Amino acid sequence: MKWTPHFKNIEKLIAQDNPFAFTVVSLLISCMIYLNNVYVKSPIIGTVTFLFFFSINTIFLEHVFFEKEDVFFRLMFGVLLLIMLLGFVGWLIMIIYNLDAPKFTLVLFIVSTLSSLLNRRMKHKNVT
Amino acid sequence: MSLSKQGSTKLLRISEILYMLLAVLSFYLLIASRTGEARTVWQVLHPAFIPTLFVTTSLLLTILFSSEKTTHKMLLIIVHSILLHSFFPIIFPAGDLSGQQTVLGQTRRVFDNTILHGLSGWPTRTLQIFIVEMFRGTNLQAALSTIFARMLSIDIFHVHLFLVPVLWGTFVPVASFLTTKALGGDDKASVLSSLLVSAFPYPTYFGAISVPNSLGFIFFFYSLYFMLKHLSSNNSRTAYFMVAFSFFSFLAHSLTGIISFSLLLLALAFKSYKSEKAPSSITSKASLAISFLFCVSLLPLSFIYLRFLNPAYHTIFTLDKFYELPPEEIAGLFLIGELTYGFDPKTILLVITGSTFALLYMIYLLHKLKKNSTTEFRIHFSFLFASFLIILIDYRILKLFMDGLPLNEERLWVFRDFIAVPFVALAIYAVISPIKAFLKAKSPPTITITSLKTLSKSNVLRVITLLSTLNVLIPAVLGGWITFSLSAAYPQVAPLQTTWYELEAVKYIEENTQEKYVVIGDVWTIYAGEMIVGIYNPQAYYFGEQDSRGISLFTEMRRDPSPQVMIEAMNQTGTDTTVAYFIVTEPRLGVEEFNSTVSKTLQNGLPVYATFGNEKLYIFYYEK
Repeated sequence: MKWTPHFKNIEKLIAQDNPFAFTVVSLLISCMIYLNNVYVKSPIIGTVTFLFFFSINTIFLEHVFFEKEDVFFRLMFGVLLLIMLLGFVGWLIMIIYNLDAPKFTLVLFIVSTLSSLLNRRMKHKNVT
Repeated sequence: MSLSKQGSTKLLRISEILYMLLAVLSFYLLIASRTGEARTVWQVLHPAFIPTLFVTTSLLLTILFSSEKTTHKMLLIIVHSILLHSFFPIIFPAGDLSGQQTVLGQTRRVFDNTILHGLSGWPTRTLQIFIVEMFRGTNLQAALSTIFARMLSIDIFHVHLFLVPVLWGTFVPVASFLTTKALGGDDKASVLSSLLVSAFPYPTYFGAISVPNSLGFIFFFYSLYFMLKHLSSNNSRTAYFMVAFSFFSFLAHSLTGIISFSLLLLALAFKSYKSEKAPSSITSKASLAISFLFCVSLLPLSFIYLRFLNPAYHTIFTLDKFYELPPEEIAGLFLIGELTYGFDPKTILLVITGSTFALLYMIYLLHKLKKNSTTEFRIHFSFLFASFLIILIDYRILKLFMDGLPLNEERLWVFRDFIAVPFVALAIYAVISPIKAFLKAKSPPTITITSLKTLSKSNVLRVITLLSTLNVLIPAVLGGWITFSLSAAYPQVAPLQTTWYELEAVKYIEENTQEKYVVIGDVWTIYAGEMIVGIYNPQAYYFGEQDSRGISLFTEMRRDPSPQVMIEAMNQTGTDTTVAYFIVTEPRLGVEEFNSTVSKTLQNGLPVYATFGNEKLYIFYYEK
């Protein structure tokens, strides 16, 4: 089965982010991650939410910077950039104060918002 | 689709399924080798693992030489790479006994919120020290591990152990692929390079331990790729990424950061040289040579300047080694570095083969391209050759002319090997390509029995020889090289790794003590303790593994175990600690000393709190 066209459709849908639907989903997932981290503590829920969070934000980022690359390498770059962004924002917040559960959720919020804004900027650039 | 094409696609799918089954079997055998008490992975590896791995790697190489899609090949390589880098976290209960355990001890403090403002804490003695500490790679790694652990709701222990093996296994092959591609290699050569990176022992070792330096190496490899891209592109985005990856490399570890920025400056110098109107003029060549010397000097000088930021560092330039060591040892250090001390010829060969091969091929390529100055990738080859030389020279400077370095110079070999990998792949592919071209020319579209019948006997023999060379011999040789390299990558000699009963003991204390406590134990107990409760945790206090107070308290307890020493340990914590534990382990002390310490402690009236591992480990306690 050829999965590339299906993936491209999903990628297009997420990258269009109309009207901020996937940004909102990403922020809601961040809240779910927080609730799971503090109350439920289930690795299964954690893994599922982790995959959703990574999928959405990876697509935002790879769409901004590596649109012309092959699908596989685009995704790899997207994941790597997301890890870098999480690491950098996490590092900064940890240096400023600490990385407890609320501050960690703040990291997710900042990364989601940044990825979404960058994606928006790219979209506007392409339109104009 | 033609019948022959359909047949070859079917064969390819079968090979891929077979590969996946073998990979699963390899993982299973690795898990079956898991043990709670061993020194090296070689002591406990399942006897079927290495043969299975050899067959799996050879089969993967056969798939790599086929016409399969690059994406599929890369996915299989990533699976393979994760397998090759997961020996420590899968086999040992607490990963490799090394700095990675201390890093986990520090990360644990961030995860458990027992520290503010990063691992240095605030306020530190001076602003300079705070800046140095802030940019220490442990901070970035602690932040990343904590974020992943919280996202997945998994304890930091497991996330930390698998962080680098998984990231390395995923991203280093991709970086190797991209770097080879940026050098003009075609997809097959690039794919080959992404697997061959596992044939180099130093990178394999660093990909298997979760330390900040390993993270830095990953970012360095990507910065190198963007530097190569920058040489042939004027796209500002490429330049941004080149700088961004160098910065991240620095954030992950100062060594990788400094090397990244050195090579970045060199790349800019090469780019400016390339854009000169008269690149062959003496001025342009001189400016390139000066840039090269500057880049060479950056790493050694940075160690010297580190003293101005933190007086604890005391690196100096010295000629002491030339006065103290015999000439043959100096020569050995110059040629093969640390390998000169007691390593067997097999290990030496495995460590230097790839890079020597790459150096020779680089020289050959540069010589070949010398006549043709318009060749597209000439500047890329020259840049990488210069980078390779920088690493070789810096290593010798650090090894022979410097003292008091805060790290082991052998780490530089990872940079050397990263630069070497694409050249090794290109060289191997240069050998394979003519065989493939010949086979293609002889048999449109593939060789069949009927087409063989039309050829003369000598030609049939030739075709069969070439076919078996391509599909059996070369994959077997390369597969053997990669498998055999693991014997140099994973140590053959090591102290007893953290045992299951040491981990259980520190967990038991943590779970069953409500009050603040301190633990007196040997360095191995401290490693186990800091992994579970963190280093210098005021609630559950373990002295750092290099803390002289902890060492002297343990020595005192071995000599004369008494409540007074335990009270002294409580007072050393700086908090209102009311319980002290003393841990002794038989394999660490030796049977005689262990028995003597246990009986002395009992005679002195300290009660046994618990025993673990069939009484191989005793915990004594004292409460105020």
